[in-house]
Amino acid sequence: MADAPERAPTNRTPPLPDEAAVIARAADGDRTAFAQLMEHYQSACYGLAWRLLGDADRAADATQDAFVHAYRAIASYRGGVFRSWLLRITANASYDILRRQQRRPSSPLPDPDEGAPELPDPSALNPFAEASKSELYRHLERALRMLPADQRTAVVLCDVYGMDYNEVAAMTDSALGTVKSRIHRGRLRLRELLAEHRELFTA
Amino acid sequence: MLNANHPDDERLSALAGGDPDEGADAGLTAHVASCDRCAELVSDLGALRMSLGDLPDVAPPRPLRLVPPVPDASAPEDGIGTWMRRLFAPALTAGAALAMVGLVGTASPGTLPTSLDEVGFGGGDAGVMHEADEAAPGDQRLTDTDEPGAVQGEAAGERDGAAGYGAAAGDDEAPAAEPLSGGRDSDTSEDDYAVPESRVGTTSLPAERSPWPMVLFTGVAVIVGALLLRWILVPRAG
Repeated sequence: MADAPERAPTNRTPPLPDEAAVIARAADGDRTAFAQLMEHYQSACYGLAWRLLGDADRAADATQDAFVHAYRAIASYRGGVFRSWLLRITANASYDILRRQQRRPSSPLPDPDEGAPELPDPSALNPFAEASKSELYRHLERALRMLPADQRTAVVLCDVYGMDYNEVAAMTDSALGTVKSRIHRGRLRLRELLAEHRELFTA
Repeated sequence: MLNANHPDDERLSALAGGDPDEGADAGLTAHVASCDRCAELVSDLGALRMSLGDLPDVAPPRPLRLVPPVPDASAPEDGIGTWMRRLFAPALTAGAALAMVGLVGTASPGTLPTSLDEVGFGGGDAGVMHEADEAAPGDQRLTDTDEPGAVQGEAAGERDGAAGYGAAAGDDEAPAAEPLSGGRDSDTSEDDYAVPESRVGTTSLPAERSPWPMVLFTGVAVIVGALLLRWILVPRAG
């Protein structure tokens, strides 16, 4: 109930051809196999952390933390989509950092305007990005950074990474209704922010 | 935003997001079908969701460590570091204890045995003291047989003020002891000898000066040494 619909993004890192076998070796303690998995999915993990935290250094730290957690947990991995499993771990690691950051009033969330130069060029950084959509992606990333942290977290987890409301609620220690409200308000705010570029995402 | 003529925008967002609760609301879907404003909003939000779901992965700007490092226990410097970590706390405690005792001893000389100066024999050595000690009984024997003295007070003053003269002056001082022992009871005479006797243990040490500054110095040296070794030998994080 109330699950966000499943979508299959086309420009994200695809699974490894022999992923199940590599996962099995990694679960048996093969460090090379584990490294192969992390290398393959590091862009997926880093992208999620960067969108949640809005800062390159903290995103790299969160991704690194996620790899450590994954290394400890992979022996108990019980199937499912490996990418989703790893992204959940990354989201938790990122959210831990976000929570610590928000507990300290002296370190506010990054200013979207100041952070603008950090916006990556997806077509330059990722082979899966379509060059023709680069402009749309840039505007979307910038608009996401201008959302309040709680709305950005909810929208990124739900709309960008396809997690359902219950997962987002559990991850952020929030009530289901609160999560829904944050997502809806975040979407409406994004629409306002992107009003000038409406033709880009409705084309 | 709540509008008198339109459903709440958050409900429209839920509808655009495929929320089954809102999709099952026939009144809501009927309104959207007949309202351009709400239809456009739902359409925009649906397109926005699709675009968000299409955002590509982002390559990290710097290489990441893909596998957590395994601590290498066989590394020699790591072994020394481990030993140093184990010894650091006891060494620091021992150094602090030594320094504390040394400090108390140095700062409060009256509470602990000190040097020959205190017994009025600044430059004397152990040999002289033993000599004096041995001479004292002889004096006593003499006083037992001689007449009572008249300078008891003087002798007492000498005993108190420079108590440890003992027989420092040896035979020279013997006459002064005669009236003392003759005019006082035997306890007083024992006291006379007890004083220098009690000093013998202390003053017979080879060192003439108080040992406490050295104890203090050793304690501080142990603390500084432990800190230095830890700084040099124990690998630092990062």
